This record gives sequence, C-alpha cells and structure tokens, in this order.
Amino acid sequence: MDERKILLREDEMPRQWYNILADIAMNPPLGPDGNPVTPDQLAPVFPMNLIEQEVSTERWIDIPDGVMDVLKIWRPAPLVRAINLEKALGTPAKIYFKNETLSPPGSHKPNTAVPQAYYNKEFGIKRITTETGAGQWGSALSFACAQYGLECKIYMVRISFDQKPYRKSMMATWGGKCIPSPSPDTKAGRDALERDPNTPGSLGIAISEAIEEAVSDKSGQTRYSLGSVLNHVMLHQTIIGLEAKKQMEKIGQYPDIIIGCAGGGSNFAGLAFPFVHDKINGKQIEIYPVEPAGCPTLTKAPFVYDHGDTARYTPLLPMHSLGHAFVPPPFHSGGLRYHGMAPTVSQLVDEGLLTPKSVKQKEVFEAGILLARTEGIIPAPETNHALAAVIDEANKAKEEGKEKVILFNWSGHGLLDLTAYENYLAGNIKDIVLSDEEMEEAEKIYADYPKPKSLKSR
Amino acid sequence: MSDQDIEKLETRCPRLGSPISFQYCLISGEDDAICWKVLDCWWEIFDVEGYLKKNMSETDFNELMARAEKPKNKISSIIEIAEKAKKKLED
Repeated sequence: MDERKILLREDEMPRQWYNILADIAMNPPLGPDGNPVTPDQLAPVFPMNLIEQEVSTERWIDIPDGVMDVLKIWRPAPLVRAINLEKALGTPAKIYFKNETLSPPGSHKPNTAVPQAYYNKEFGIKRITTETGAGQWGSALSFACAQYGLECKIYMVRISFDQKPYRKSMMATWGGKCIPSPSPDTKAGRDALERDPNTPGSLGIAISEAIEEAVSDKSGQTRYSLGSVLNHVMLHQTIIGLEAKKQMEKIGQYPDIIIGCAGGGSNFAGLAFPFVHDKINGKQIEIYPVEPAGCPTLTKAPFVYDHGDTARYTPLLPMHSLGHAFVPPPFHSGGLRYHGMAPTVSQLVDEGLLTPKSVKQKEVFEAGILLARTEGIIPAPETNHALAAVIDEANKAKEEGKEKVILFNWSGHGLLDLTAYENYLAGNIKDIVLSDEEMEEAEKIYADYPKPKSLKSR
Repeated sequence: MSDQDIEKLETRCPRLGSPISFQYCLISGEDDAICWKVLDCWWEIFDVEGYLKKNMSETDFNELMARAEKPKNKISSIIEIAEKAKKKLED
C-alpha cells in the first residue's frame, strides 16, 4: 500500500531558516525622501532584532529554542501524498502537499507570527498592533502573542469585522483585542469616521491605525507587525520547504515541479525558496508561483523598454509592458500582476528562476471542490489557485505519460471562508478569456522599441 | 446592466479575503479613492474598464492605471505612514 503521510520527528525539524537574500541581488527599498531606507527609520515600527533579519544577507539563521517550542504545537507539518487526487485525475504524476492547515488558526501564517512575537518579546515589547482583512493574520498573531504573554491589538476592516464574527471570536479567545477599523482610538480612524461615520473601512485605513498606535506609544513598548511581503516574513516561512525537503529525502523523492499560490508571496516563498537554493546550485526543477489572472504584464507581455506614462513624458524604461498606451481591454486574461507581492519573489521571476502561472476564478473553485472531495480538506480560497495549477500540471503529465513529482503547499483551510464556495456553487463565478490574437493587438504598440538586456544576479 | 446594478455586483476581495460589492472597490483605495486592484478583480465579471472610463475623467483614469502598474514598495509605504502619523500627532 502506498504511504500517504510522510512525517518528521520533532528532533528532525530544521534548526535554521534559509535566507534567500544571501543568494540574490536586490535593489534596496527607497524611503519617502528617495534615499534607501535605513534601519533607524524602521525602528519606531519594528523591533531592532527583526529589522536586522529584514536586512540580513546571512544564508542560514538559527531558529531560537523559544520559537521551536511553540512551533512544535503543530509542527513538523506532514507531507501528504494526494493519492485520491492522483486516482481521480488518472495521472501518472506523484502529487505531494505540505499540510499547513493543521496550525491552530488553520493556515501557514503562524510560521511567522510566532517568531515575530518571540523577537518582540525578546526586545522588551509588551504590545503588538496589526491590521487584518479577513482575519487570518489577526488570528495567527493573537495565537502567537498568547504564547509569549504579549498584548495584541488588531484593527479589522469594518466590512470584514461585520461579515466574519467567528474570526474575531478566535482572536478574542486567544486574548487578542480585535476592533473594527476605522476606530475612534487613532487620529487616522477619527479622520476617516469624520469623513463618513458609516464607512465600511479599508485595509489602508486599518494599516494606518495599527502603525499610528505603535509609533505614538511614548513608552516605546508597542510595535507593529506584518504577516506578508517583508523579507523576515519570507525567511520564517522557509521552515515549510526545509521540512518538505527532509520528508522527500526520506522517501527517496525530489520534486520536478513546485507550486504555491502567490498572493503576498509568503506561503509560496516558504515552500519554494529552499528549492530555489537548490535550483541556483544546479538542480533541474520548475517552480511556479500562481496568482489570479489579471492584466498580462508578466506571463505574456515581453520585457521591453517603454515609456512609464501614457503621455510619454518619462524616458524609456525597461519593464514588462503592454505599451505606454495600453489600457486593459474589457475582458483580459493570461497575466499575473505582482502587486503587493514580496520583492524577493518578483526578483526571482525577473531572473527566470520562477515561472509565474495564472489561473481564472472558475477553474480555481473547480479545483478546490475536487480537492475537497478527494483529499477531504476544504481549501482556503487562496490555496485553490495553487490547486488549479497542480491539476493542470498533473493532466499535462498524463498527456505526456510522464511520472512527474509535483509538490505544492496547502496553505490553509477554508472553513471560515465558505461564502466564497457558496457563490461558486450558486453559479455566480464566470470565466472569460482573452485570445492570443487580442493580446498581439495590444502589444503591437512597442514592436519597434529597443529590447533591454535581462540582467542576472550571477 | 445599469450602473446601479453594476455597483451591487459581488466578488471576493483578494486583499480582504471576503465578499464585497463593486461599490466598495470604488471607495476602498488610498484616501477613499478607487482600489488599484479594481481591474484585476473585475475583468472576468463585467466591462469594468468601460464603467470606469464612463465615470472617471481621463486624468483620474490614467492615474489609477499608473497606481495599478506600479504600487509602492511595502517598506517604503510603512515608513511613509509612520512619518505621517508622527507628524499628525505633533500637529
């Protein structure tokens, strides 16, 4: 009988995180003054030990015992072979996933919430603030703060606060104080309420409130925490891929293809970065970040010099572009927008180490339903993006008759996201595809422009 | 479909992770402006470009496109928010 779960013992857990910044060249982020950001500018927002991690270029960073102790509540996470999915697809591919749904809040988010809470505690911080949309991150941080005896205050966008009562109950159960944003607690919140007392709020306002509360604490004992995009978040998440490598070694396998959904980049990076390290060192492996199909700036649009503005005032800049006059046609598909994504993930795409894939809304939910019915877990809607790409690759392997090994990250369960499934099952999600002919028409505008060189870190 | 009908359409917001109406996208961006992800989120559902062009000035539409194409780096925007907050409190 085929083995379904590949487990690690606690003493086999990785003891160091992998830092991709040791292996890629990155442009430094620029501050509002146009100069590179300095650690001092970040000091009122984050504790210095996390800022040091944010800018570190050390390849391996030790995981403190105090972090390991808490991670062991649910880690090591099993590597699972999706045997029923393989059978349903009739594919010769072997499909494995890291089951990140088993953490207390039900997603990969605590992999960074826990070390962030730990380092804040170590730095002498008493209170952490954050914002949350649907509540996944707020739940993860509340859980983590409870483990270290820290206060946690979460500004939850009002529209979600009203829609998702169970998330705020989760946060409250772990001791997190979740309030709707905008709130009267901050100047940013009061200003928003003055403009419109009935405002549903927005992530922008919630972030402003959380940061304002951190920087306005004169005692210096409050800091802000973010659950995606930043380098130290990616770093903490690499425990997913490092565990997966050990688990695959145990069964004598190595993936041909790695797949993860790439919203802010953190769950994708967590699984993929340790394998990117292998790829940099010569391993043959395909690595696919998957996002919802948007305007085709990356997957189909070529890398060209173009004007950055429609008025053509700016000089020619190298960019993935559909032309300075491009305006997305009414129904567009085939591209990824790396908006709000981790800069490290974008850089790896530019260097050709990752191959972005996009999927459409309808196939995303079809995939989620199939996985729920075969493997049993109801996936988080974000995870469904990865699942759609997994099914696509498994079907390709079937067509080619190849026994490929596919590894993906099951980043969370969807038990508190059932409205999305309800909409799909009610037939409210549709697909419309842009043809290659329409794409070619949009791209004609820069046909005669010079083509830039593609630069690599090494 | 009338503008009113359009504004009542619902989809899942990838930033919030919950269902929202199109009307919410029109006010949930920076400074209560249109969210920069609006085209990506709605192109599969209706002619969002046509709607925006009809209801926005050309300048505003082009600004939205520019924001969508080049959103701010996260670290930069965190520092900007922190500095704005400190200034507001000093005032």
